[in-house]
Amino acid sequence: MERLKTVGVERFVILAILLAGAIFLLVGCLTSTQFATFTVQGVATGMAYGALALALVLIYQATHVINFAQGELAMFTTFVAWQLIQWGLPYWGAFFVTLAIAFLLGMGLQVAVIRPVQHRSVIATVIVTVGLFILIDGVVDWVWGGEFKSLPQPFGNGSWNVGGVEIQHLYVGMTGVVLASLAFVWALFRFTKLGLAMRAAALRPAAASLAGVRVDAMLAIGWGLAALLGAVAGLMAEPTTGIFLLPTFMQQVLVYAFAAAALGGLESPIGAIVGGVAIGVLQALMIGYTPQISSQLQLPFAFALILAILVVKPNGLFGRRQVARV
Amino acid sequence: MSINRKRLGALLCVVVAAIAVASTAGAASQSTPGVTAHNVKIGGTFPLSGPASLYATIAGAEQAYYGWVNAHGGVNGRTITDIVKDDQYNPAKTVPAVKHLVETDKVFAIVGSLGTAPGLATWNYLNNKKVPQVLLASGDAYWGTCTATGSAFRAKPYCSKPKPWTMGWQPDYPGEAKIYAKYILANKPHAKIGILYQNDAYGQNYLDAFTKALGSHKSQIVDKESYNYTDSSSVVGAHVGALAAHGADTVVFFSTPAASIAALATIPHVPSWHPLTVLNNVSANRIFLLSAEQNGAAPNGVISSSYIKSNTVTPNDSAMKLAHDIIYATGNGTLKHEFDIGDSNLIYGLASAWTFVDALKHAGSNPTRTSLMHALRTLNESSSNKNPFVYPGMTVKTSSSRTFPMEQLILEKWSGSAHDWKSFGGVKTSGS
Amino acid sequence: MKRSIPALVSVVAVAGVLVLLPFIISDYNTFLVGEVGIYFIAVLGLNILTGYTGQISIGHGAFMAIGGYTLAILSRDHQMNLVYGTLIAFALCFAAGLAFGLLALRLSGAYLALATFALAISVTQLPLQYSTYLGGSLGVQASSKTDHLFGWSLFGVHIPRWSLPGPAVLTNKWIFGVAWSFAAVLLVLAWLILRGRVGRAFRAVRDSEIAAVASGVERGLYKTLAFGISAAYCGAAGAIFVMANNGFAQPDEFNVALSLTLLIGAAVAGLGSLWGVLVGAAFVGLLPNISTSIPHLGGHQDVIYGAAVIVVMLVAPSGFAGLLARLRLLRRA
Repeated sequence: MERLKTVGVERFVILAILLAGAIFLLVGCLTSTQFATFTVQGVATGMAYGALALALVLIYQATHVINFAQGELAMFTTFVAWQLIQWGLPYWGAFFVTLAIAFLLGMGLQVAVIRPVQHRSVIATVIVTVGLFILIDGVVDWVWGGEFKSLPQPFGNGSWNVGGVEIQHLYVGMTGVVLASLAFVWALFRFTKLGLAMRAAALRPAAASLAGVRVDAMLAIGWGLAALLGAVAGLMAEPTTGIFLLPTFMQQVLVYAFAAAALGGLESPIGAIVGGVAIGVLQALMIGYTPQISSQLQLPFAFALILAILVVKPNGLFGRRQVARV
Repeated sequence: MSINRKRLGALLCVVVAAIAVASTAGAASQSTPGVTAHNVKIGGTFPLSGPASLYATIAGAEQAYYGWVNAHGGVNGRTITDIVKDDQYNPAKTVPAVKHLVETDKVFAIVGSLGTAPGLATWNYLNNKKVPQVLLASGDAYWGTCTATGSAFRAKPYCSKPKPWTMGWQPDYPGEAKIYAKYILANKPHAKIGILYQNDAYGQNYLDAFTKALGSHKSQIVDKESYNYTDSSSVVGAHVGALAAHGADTVVFFSTPAASIAALATIPHVPSWHPLTVLNNVSANRIFLLSAEQNGAAPNGVISSSYIKSNTVTPNDSAMKLAHDIIYATGNGTLKHEFDIGDSNLIYGLASAWTFVDALKHAGSNPTRTSLMHALRTLNESSSNKNPFVYPGMTVKTSSSRTFPMEQLILEKWSGSAHDWKSFGGVKTSGS
Repeated sequence: MKRSIPALVSVVAVAGVLVLLPFIISDYNTFLVGEVGIYFIAVLGLNILTGYTGQISIGHGAFMAIGGYTLAILSRDHQMNLVYGTLIAFALCFAAGLAFGLLALRLSGAYLALATFALAISVTQLPLQYSTYLGGSLGVQASSKTDHLFGWSLFGVHIPRWSLPGPAVLTNKWIFGVAWSFAAVLLVLAWLILRGRVGRAFRAVRDSEIAAVASGVERGLYKTLAFGISAAYCGAAGAIFVMANNGFAQPDEFNVALSLTLLIGAAVAGLGSLWGVLVGAAFVGLLPNISTSIPHLGGHQDVIYGAAVIVVMLVAPSGFAGLLARLRLLRRA
């Protein structure tokens, strides 16, 4: 009873903090157009961080492993999209074909290299994802290295003027696409039998398998979905990360997605998105308003903040305290 | 027991090896490493993979030029072999790669290696071993100011000891920055200047020289924004927005290509802002400007500088036709494509390789490392011996008082993708 | 404990081979094996943390950076000799590791991994920010006047100077000698630490935290201590790493890939086996270099390295140590 109460209080405090943050942003946007510009940009990039963080969370929930290769997988699928566009597909055609390829690739990798180790050793599974990281980097350099490449802008270069605030089509488009894919994943888990089976397989594998769920197959589909979300994150983040499509473009995004997942809690899908947006906005406002925190100190500062949060809340803002097993 | 036998074997190996070393030591000192009767072996490190791999085409062009020279009889009857090693722009990888080139491949010289930090990580080693580290692809001031000896050695703030075996090739960044400062003061005396620079030695090298050259006008700098090499384009864009917010009507970008393009693409997003824009030479590659246009920039009128020819500006120039033939002779699809879209890194690579071949010709019929350095310290690529790939009217030249082979630049203005760069104002000297 | 005599013999054999090696193999290969020695020290340290207390770190490259910069700066500003510099790097990283370990007490599993990752990324930003002292992207070059193996004076206090001239240039044999001498000393130190009370406490913490607390082991103390020790080892490795880079410390040298390399080394090594650490260090030290010289795969060493990492983990999920244990079981059966 006592414990329940403290959990309730904690929830309340976190909700209050989030609400205060939202009100702060809203008031800021209404009073300053510059602030609003920064916020819009921050939300959009934060969405991409959130999508990749959600991919991490999906895999963490199922396998209790952080997939280090998540960002590089997304980078790989972005190159696939580039290739498809080169072969003549229109951007959005390539987009959906790429998502399908990402899904199959994620499933394939789970079956080929993750399944054999995942029950034997957590460390070995993590190292396999590190190996994938290196391998994918090498493969992309091999297949697509050496030439300048850039993807077409999915939403053009235009912008709307809303009450003096310059809002680029890109940012609205990014936010929309990420939200749509989140809605898709959410609906899948919430309303379909497959989603129920996947949740069961991730949370109670033994019981699920007794109930006739093919746990291994569900885990593979989970990897597929994570790769698909990652592909969305890659394609949406690419226009903001740099002009050229470089094999390294997802590494910075992965770092912020890690931060988002840690902030929101590795077991909380909503936490991943909220964490991603929070980090995106914080980053945009820091650049805009705190020139004394120079660009070199942004990463250390952001991480000091996250470390501080983790020290207070070791399982992230939305994480539940785990009871240690003896 | 088995261990003892193994040890005995090992000991025997040691003795044999020691004798072998002792017996070959005398012979080794006679001949120059990497030079045989029919071949000269050189090597270099480049970021063939990783974030800086956009520069990999320089190595490709250099190898293409040596291939062309070899097909036309080589230099003094010797062909040139150029071993290119990937260091991913990481000094910790440059060191083993250079050691491998020097100690295992036994190259004659390290030629054309790319990057400041990789160069700094290996120049003590190479100078101690008296291995030439030449035509470094980096415009930092070190490669000229530290390499002189005697009275010309004026580089205490940069380096404690002369580095006689090291030298660069391209004009130094500070000299380039000075030319921009003079241009702005002459053409827009009341400019309110905003500067975007990369927060490292590269950007600082430019920034310091630019500020110094403005002299008493340095109060006209209304804002300086620094960004990180790894920053995303939205971050760079935010910094450019800050320049506008500080009221700059003239912006100077001392940045690397990806950031420069992001910066150019941001300008049209700031309502009613049309600053005079100056872009450093590193970012002024045609393909970057085309990329910027694709990404929404309107770079017409952007000012930059150049020191090499362009195969898109003057495609009918005989040297550019030669360049075409050299690149196409490799049969390498990537190189051919990059050439066609006007990647100036290729011409850079050809020009720098031309200088190496020139120096090798002048290093005598039996070149040694010393004679190569002497040839490089007394370059004179003028009149009949002109480097065909550098800008008309410029000479690649070195002497005891001139330690940068290239000390000239010409200003140019971007006139749209159809019209390319247009040079103006005559050749200027960048040297200090 | 029946195995202790064959174990001693094999240690002596390895030491013997290492002493002779520089005279047998080429100068360049001596350098590579010297780098293996550096990884040996770092992986040994990480093995103490992961293997004996179960904490996963993917950021120990940060401590290599701190150690490396400590050495380079002490040499640049005080001409301190490189051996003393390494010892100070060791001590400083021990302190830094204790400090981070205290914070890390609140975190476990994946969160600790993420926090250490953050540390690795953040630390290399600091030289860029404080460039006047830490050199920025131009790095810090150790002084070439640092040419004595021992001996150095600071603030007038004279520390004995042996007249053993070291090389002005850090030759390959010298790097090899320093790396493996430190490796040997630190190996003995690790053995002394792990065989006694502290080692038992470490294992108790790993096997069951709650049980360890119940049986009176001060969990916090030992977890922090393990973090400090592993950081100190990585600090010493970082100092020698900088010597191997011609005395040049620069942020890019200590990128995330280095931290991942250490983690791979520790995983390939497996838990608590000297042979494992040796194999793990050789794996990460030699494979990327060897694979560059495989014909037709020139610039694609990452493909081979990445694939090799995956295959090794599939074949031996508990590393070389696990493989050895399995072999031993097979032989007995």
